[in-house]
Amino acid sequence: MSVAEFVPATQTELARWMAENAAAARQKLLPVGGRTSLHFGFSAESDCQIDSRELTRVVDYPARDLTITVEAGMRIEELQRLLVAERQQLPVDIAQPVRATIGGAIACNASGPRRHGSGTLRDYLIGCSAIDAQGSLFKSGGRVVKNVAGYDLCKLLIGSRGTLAVITQVTLKVKPLPEAAGWWWLTFDTFAEMENVLERLLTSAARPMALEMLDVPAAKLVATESRLPLPTDCPVLAILVEGTSREVAWQLDVLRKETVPFGVQQIEQLLDQDARTLTAALTEFQVPTDEPLTFQANLRPSRCWEFAELANRLDVAVQCHAGNGVIIGQFPEAAASRDQALTLLQPLQQFASAHTGNLQILHCDPEWQDDLPMCGQPEPAWGIMQQLKRQLDPQGLLSPGRFIDRVPISA
Amino acid sequence: MSELLTRLTTIVGSDGVLASPDELLVYECDGYVVEKKQPDVVVFPTTTKQVVEIVRLCNELNVPFVPRGAGTSLAGGCLPVGGGVMISLTRMKRILEINLRDRYAVVEPGLVNAHLTQALKGTGYHYAPDPSSQGACTIGGNFATNSGGPHTLKYGVTVNHVLGVEVVMPDATVVQLGGPTEDVPGYDLTGLFVGSEGTLGICTKMIVRLTRDPAAYRTMLGVFETVDDATQAISAIIGAGIVPAALEMMDQGIVQALEEAFHFGFPLDAGAVLLIEVDGLEVAVDEEAQKIIALCTEAKAREVRQANTPKERQLLWKCRKQAFGAIGRLSPSYCTQDGVVPRTKLPGILRFIIDVAQRYQLKIVNVFHAGDGNIHPILLFDERDADQVQRVLEASDEILNRCIDLGGSVTGEHGIGVEKISFMNRLFSPADLAVMQSIRDCFNPDGRCSPGKMLPTAAGCGNEHIPRATPGKRAMA
Ligand SMILES: Cc1cc2nc3c(=O)[nH]c(=O)nc-3n(C[C@H](O)[C@H](O)[C@H](O)COP(=O)(O)OP(=O)(O)OC[C@H]3O[C@@H](n4cnc5c(N)ncnc54)[C@H](O)[C@@H]3O)c2cc1C
Repeated sequence: MSVAEFVPATQTELARWMAENAAAARQKLLPVGGRTSLHFGFSAESDCQIDSRELTRVVDYPARDLTITVEAGMRIEELQRLLVAERQQLPVDIAQPVRATIGGAIACNASGPRRHGSGTLRDYLIGCSAIDAQGSLFKSGGRVVKNVAGYDLCKLLIGSRGTLAVITQVTLKVKPLPEAAGWWWLTFDTFAEMENVLERLLTSAARPMALEMLDVPAAKLVATESRLPLPTDCPVLAILVEGTSREVAWQLDVLRKETVPFGVQQIEQLLDQDARTLTAALTEFQVPTDEPLTFQANLRPSRCWEFAELANRLDVAVQCHAGNGVIIGQFPEAAASRDQALTLLQPLQQFASAHTGNLQILHCDPEWQDDLPMCGQPEPAWGIMQQLKRQLDPQGLLSPGRFIDRVPISA
Repeated sequence: MSELLTRLTTIVGSDGVLASPDELLVYECDGYVVEKKQPDVVVFPTTTKQVVEIVRLCNELNVPFVPRGAGTSLAGGCLPVGGGVMISLTRMKRILEINLRDRYAVVEPGLVNAHLTQALKGTGYHYAPDPSSQGACTIGGNFATNSGGPHTLKYGVTVNHVLGVEVVMPDATVVQLGGPTEDVPGYDLTGLFVGSEGTLGICTKMIVRLTRDPAAYRTMLGVFETVDDATQAISAIIGAGIVPAALEMMDQGIVQALEEAFHFGFPLDAGAVLLIEVDGLEVAVDEEAQKIIALCTEAKAREVRQANTPKERQLLWKCRKQAFGAIGRLSPSYCTQDGVVPRTKLPGILRFIIDVAQRYQLKIVNVFHAGDGNIHPILLFDERDADQVQRVLEASDEILNRCIDLGGSVTGEHGIGVEKISFMNRLFSPADLAVMQSIRDCFNPDGRCSPGKMLPTAAGCGNEHIPRATPGKRAMA
C-alpha cells in the first residue's frame, strides 16, 4: 500500500496545507499518530496520511497547576516520563505507549483498567487545538481546570477517529502519582460468584481503582503477556487499589476479608513491580496479535458476568472492566473465516443488544468489514451525528469511510 | 387570547400557562439581575411529549423559545431575548429510576439537585456535582451550564457525571444521547451538549452517574491575616500534589456577613479563611490533614481549626453554601463574577481585585472555589444608583480581562449567557467561533432555541439579531 504522506513541522503549516488541499487537490486525508489503531473499526480510504511524528513539543508544563500542554504527536511514554519527573501522572491506561501518541489516544478514546477509579480521557482533556477539513485551525477549552466558555469541542473530538478534525495540541489536567499500588488476583468456580462479589464491593470499605473480570481464555492471555505465575484454570476477578503504602496495605486486607466468603478459589497478591506489570498486561490485552477479531462491548456493569460466561463457552477471551461495563474481547485463532467469525459474533451481539448495550468491532480482517456490523447496531443519535459530520466536513475529506459516514441509520 | 396562547393552553392546560404581566415579572430575569426582559408567555410542560408539541408550535408560529430551570443562572442564561415562549421545566421533576448496582439514576430535568442526593441518603452513594445553589437549582440547569461546586475539585463538574440525556431538538425531534452504559458507539454528543446553555435543545431526561460516598472526612478552617497569605497557602497545597475534596476561600467581608447570620464563631478580624476538606479512607485522612495544616502554618496561618463533629462540619458547609444569601445583609444588589486563573496565579488576581475595588470605589467581597482557581468576586451595589451600576460593570470587565491575560477564562461554571457574550471574541479567535457557530447552525439552524446566548454571532440567522433591551458589558479590546 503506497499512500502519500505529509509530515507537518508545525500546526500552522498543517493548517495552510489543509486549506490548500480543500481548495484544490481535495485529497482524502487520514491523520495518523503511532499507527497502533488505524484499523480500529473501519479502515479509511485515503490518498494521503498526515503524520504527527514531528509534532512532539511540550508547549507548557506548569507542574504546580497540575496541567500540561503538549503537541498531539507526543508519545504516551514520553508524556508519562515528563509527568513522573514531577511525581504526576495522566491516570489513563493506554496500550502500546512507546508508539501510541496522545492525539491518537484521544481520537480513539483509549482507556484501560483504571477507568473505574480515575475515569477516561474525557475527564482529563481540558483544552485542544485542531484543524478542520477546510484547514481552519481552531481551539476549544483552555489551560485552566475549570472552564465553561463556549461549546466543549474537546468532547466531540474524543473518540472521533480523525473524522471531524486533526487534533494538533492538547491541554490535560494531571494528577499526583500515587505512592503504591497492589492487585488481588482471585479465581472463582463460577461467574455468578464473581457477580456476588461485585455486588458486595459496591459498598466496600475500600475504593478499588480497577475491577477486571476475565474469562479463562483471557486469564491465560494476560498471564502469558505478563509472564507472572498466575492461576488461570478458572475465571478471574482482579482488583487494583492505589494510594500511600499504608492505604494500599489496609485496602488489600479489607478486600481479602470482603471477598473470600464468596467462594474464592485461589488468591494471589501482586505488589510493586509485579503490580505494574499486571496493569500493563491488562492494558495491552486490547491489542490484537494473532487474534482474528477484537471487539468492544458496552453493557451495564451488572450484565458483565453473563456476557463473560457466554464468551467463555464460545472460547472467546473477554476482559470486562467490570466497574464500567466496558468489555474487550479477542476471538480464538480458530475463527479464521468470515463466516466463523459471524457465527461467534451473533450470540454476543444479541446479548449486548438485548441488554441496552452494543458491540463494535475494533479490529478484523479488512476483507470482512463490509459484512460485519463494525460500529455495532444503529444507535438513535447516529442520524444527527452524520448531520454534524457533513456540517463540519462537507467535502468528506477527513478519514472518509472510517466511522459515522459508513454506518446504517435506523428509521 | 392570541393564537399562541390558545394553542399552548391546549397543550399543557390552563394551569400550565402564565401570561399576565404581573405573573411574568418573576421571569423577567434570573440570578443575573442587570438585564431584564419579560417573555410573552411561560409554559410548564409535564412530559416530553408536551415539550415536543410546544417546540413544534413555536416553530410553526416562528417565535423564539428558551428553557428555564430554577432561574438561578448568574449569567442571564434564562433571559428571553426577543421575548417568546419560556419553557419552564420545573414540573418535570421526578426521579424515574435509581439503579445502585449499575451506579446511575434516571431523572427529569426539573429535579432540584439536592433532592437527588437526599433520595440517595443511606445508600452509600450520592450525586457528586454540588453547586452552592443546590437547594434550589435543577439538574437540567446544571446540565445546561455544566455546573461545578465546592467538591468538584476532586470529583469533577457536571459533565463528568452525565452518562446520557434525552433532548428535544430545536426542530422538535427527540433524540437519546449516550445511555445507561459508558462508551456508546458514536461521537460524544452528550459531552458536547453539556454546557451548551440551552442553545442546542431542551433536555427532558438525564441519566447521571452516582458516586460512592467517601469513608471519612476531615474538615478544617484555616485562618489567615491577609488574603495574600491565604492564596499562597492554596498554591502551596495544590503545588505539593495534594488534591483536597474541597478548598474554598472566604474573605473578611463575607466572613463578617456570615458571622452575623449564623454565629459560627468565625474570627472577624481575619483577612481571609480557607475552608478545606479532605476525604478518603479513615487510615489516610489524618495524614493528609496534617500535611495541609503544616502547609497552612508555613504560609503564616494564624490558626487552623478542625471541625470536631459532623454537626460542626455541617454548619461550616451550611455557612459556605449560604454565603450568597448572607450578602443580602451587606447590600441591596450584587453581581457575582466567575473568572478562572491557573491556580498559581491566585495571589496575583486577588491583589488585582483589591486594587480594582479601590479604583472604582466599590465594595468587593470574595467567596470562591479556590482549589480550582475559580474566583467569584462579588461586587456590591444599589440597583437604583445608575453610576454605581456602571462602575460595577466596568470593574467586572477589568477583572475578567485580567483573568484572560493570566491565561484563564471568564467563566468557570456560570456560563456565558448574555452577560459575558462580548468576551467571547477575546477568549476565542474568529476560527474558533466559526466552528462553534457551525455546530449551532447544524442543530439550531433557525436560531429560535435560546437566541442571543453564548456566541457573539455577527452574521447568521434570523433571531440571533434581536437587539437586547439593555446593553450588557463589553470586553476591553
Ligand atoms: C446563590 C447561588 C449560588 C450558586 N452557586 C453555584 C455554584 O457553586 N456552582 C455553579 O456552577 N453555579 C452556581 N450558581 C449558578 C446556578 O445556580 C447554576 O448555573 C445552575 O446550574 C442553574 O440551574 P437552574 O435550574 O437555576 O437553571 P436556570 O438558571 O433556570 O437556567 C440556566 C441555563 O440553563 C438553561 N436550561 C435550564 N434548564 C434546561 C433544560 N432542561 N434543557 C436545556 N437548557 C436548560 C437555561 O436556558 C439557561 O441558559 C449559583 C447561583 C446562585 C444564585
